[in-house]
Amino acid sequence: MAGSNNSVSGLEYEWDYLVQPGRVHRSLYVDPVIFGLELKRIFGGTWVYLAHKSELAEPHSFVTRNFGSRPLIVTRDKDGQLHALINRCTHRGARVCRTDSGKSQYFTCGYHGWTFRNTGKCVGVPVDAAYGEDFDKSSRDLGRIPYVTEYRGFIFGTLSPAKGEKPLIDHLGPAAERMDEWIDHNGGDPDAIHVSGAQRYMVNCNWKCIYDNAGDGYHPEYSHQSLLRMTNRRHGKARDIDYFSGNIDETPMYSQALGNGHTFLDQRPCMYESSAFERQRPQPGRETVVEQLTREVGRTRALELLETATGAGMNLSIFPNLLFVGNQIQMLIPLTVNKTDMSWYATSINNAPPAVNTLRLRTQEDFPMFGEVDDNANFESCFEGMAVVEMEWVDISRHLETGVEQVDERGVVTAPISSDLHMRSYYSEWKRLMSANPD
Amino acid sequence: MATSPDKNPAQVSCYVDDTLYDNLLSLAREWLRTEPVRRDERPDAITCQDCESALFAEARFADNLQLENWLACYDQECIYWIPSGDPQTDPRTHVTLEIHDRRRLEDRVARIRTGFAYSMIPPIRTRHLLGNIELWHGPQNQVLARANFIIDALFRNKHRILSGWCGYALRRNNDNWLISVKQINLIDADLPQENNTFFL
Repeated sequence: MAGSNNSVSGLEYEWDYLVQPGRVHRSLYVDPVIFGLELKRIFGGTWVYLAHKSELAEPHSFVTRNFGSRPLIVTRDKDGQLHALINRCTHRGARVCRTDSGKSQYFTCGYHGWTFRNTGKCVGVPVDAAYGEDFDKSSRDLGRIPYVTEYRGFIFGTLSPAKGEKPLIDHLGPAAERMDEWIDHNGGDPDAIHVSGAQRYMVNCNWKCIYDNAGDGYHPEYSHQSLLRMTNRRHGKARDIDYFSGNIDETPMYSQALGNGHTFLDQRPCMYESSAFERQRPQPGRETVVEQLTREVGRTRALELLETATGAGMNLSIFPNLLFVGNQIQMLIPLTVNKTDMSWYATSINNAPPAVNTLRLRTQEDFPMFGEVDDNANFESCFEGMAVVEMEWVDISRHLETGVEQVDERGVVTAPISSDLHMRSYYSEWKRLMSANPD
Repeated sequence: MATSPDKNPAQVSCYVDDTLYDNLLSLAREWLRTEPVRRDERPDAITCQDCESALFAEARFADNLQLENWLACYDQECIYWIPSGDPQTDPRTHVTLEIHDRRRLEDRVARIRTGFAYSMIPPIRTRHLLGNIELWHGPQNQVLARANFIIDALFRNKHRILSGWCGYALRRNNDNWLISVKQINLIDADLPQENNTFFL
């Protein structure tokens, strides 16, 4: 099959060979041509997460984003309408917006002064008589992601008419209910959830090395051994994520495929078996917050509030770039075949007592520095291993042959927590999109 | 002064409250002062030397991975703080890259010491370079300092340069000066960071 990993432009890949039931080919991770196709067919072919509405709360607010290598400005216009504009001057290509976020009615290109409203409309071309009498500025409006919509505060966009002409909820399917559960964990009011800054990381690997892990219930006991040992030694047993030990497939935790490549890993049966806050490794300010809240609202209500400040126990992955991890919203941005921006957006709850939000933020800082660092080191190490040309395959076969998967009437597949169901599920959607060839 | 075991800040953390956060924000403002340090605000020469030595020792212990010695450079009730952007942003309402009290700082060292922290295998080698050090008297007999830093970090075969500036609050403990607060301001704190498992 020499042809399949040496494809040149115009020669189609043999996707059925590259994505097999229990294994996928290394070229999916290391081939820059496949990466280029992913930007068109995956990131250009399905709904992609853009921003949370709290980042665009006011009319005329904007954030800059990246839509699979396309620089974007996500804006809210004066009427509250959302737009996802290509941050590229229609004249010569320069960025018309060069700050990360802010408020602006207009974006003016620094090169020749072309000016665009935050709806994308071209409203200023200096000395435009030089373009002739019939020049129509509207032919120079900014490029845009034509379909932009939100589900309960989560803003998505797509270039694909096949996706965009249908409601977003059809695409989310059963994953929408899991998003609802995440919102319920966080007080139940989507309007009260707001982004409170970001921790951003650059990981030197293909974006899928990270995505592979998003629904991996097999790795914690090994990858996070340092976290588990330290916690055990310093804070005692039955703390934090130590339920990931021994034969985890005998725990009530499970992995699910929700359709369209979306997946879910549920830690709640163990994490919330009793109080998740009680089992949490102590974070800075814990004692003073508990004392203050107990005084203000009583112990029962205090504990209730503090449970929401503890992670949701849900690893919900909305293919291809939105991951719910704990109380954070994680966004993956593929930059090049070997470089990925992984941004964790922290969240707070508007109507929660300030002390609860403070402890919630301290909690959200914990895993990135105590766990994710080791994950990233492993992702980068996997990626280096994929450079070995003689070792062509990446294994995704856990629980493929055990016959324990269960399918419900909606097509939701449930498997033991250590299953590779997550990878098999998203790769089946990946293959469908890559084969569809929307070029 | 020996602390009673039940109040050992390495195990029970009772000092991270609103007053502490308020103090952190007023320190952040102090470190951003624009007026030059007046002669009468400057500690005496011996104190300046002692404080600089304390900063150099802290950097050297971090570089040499003498992490227990490194921890000993910090006050019992300390804060190690890496904002994710503007140094004046309130950590009560905005996530940081890292902010640790004594307990979480010791957790962080203990994690590396397990030998299973894959982000530190092989150990990241670093060299800190401190410069442009300024020292002045702060509230409650503290000495405040700010300094620019460059860190060369080597992980496997790859060098990375990190740079920025730090604000410090130092407290005298007998003959030593201990760091009670260190704020690390990376010039790219708002941009994607690579493996920063070592101590900045």
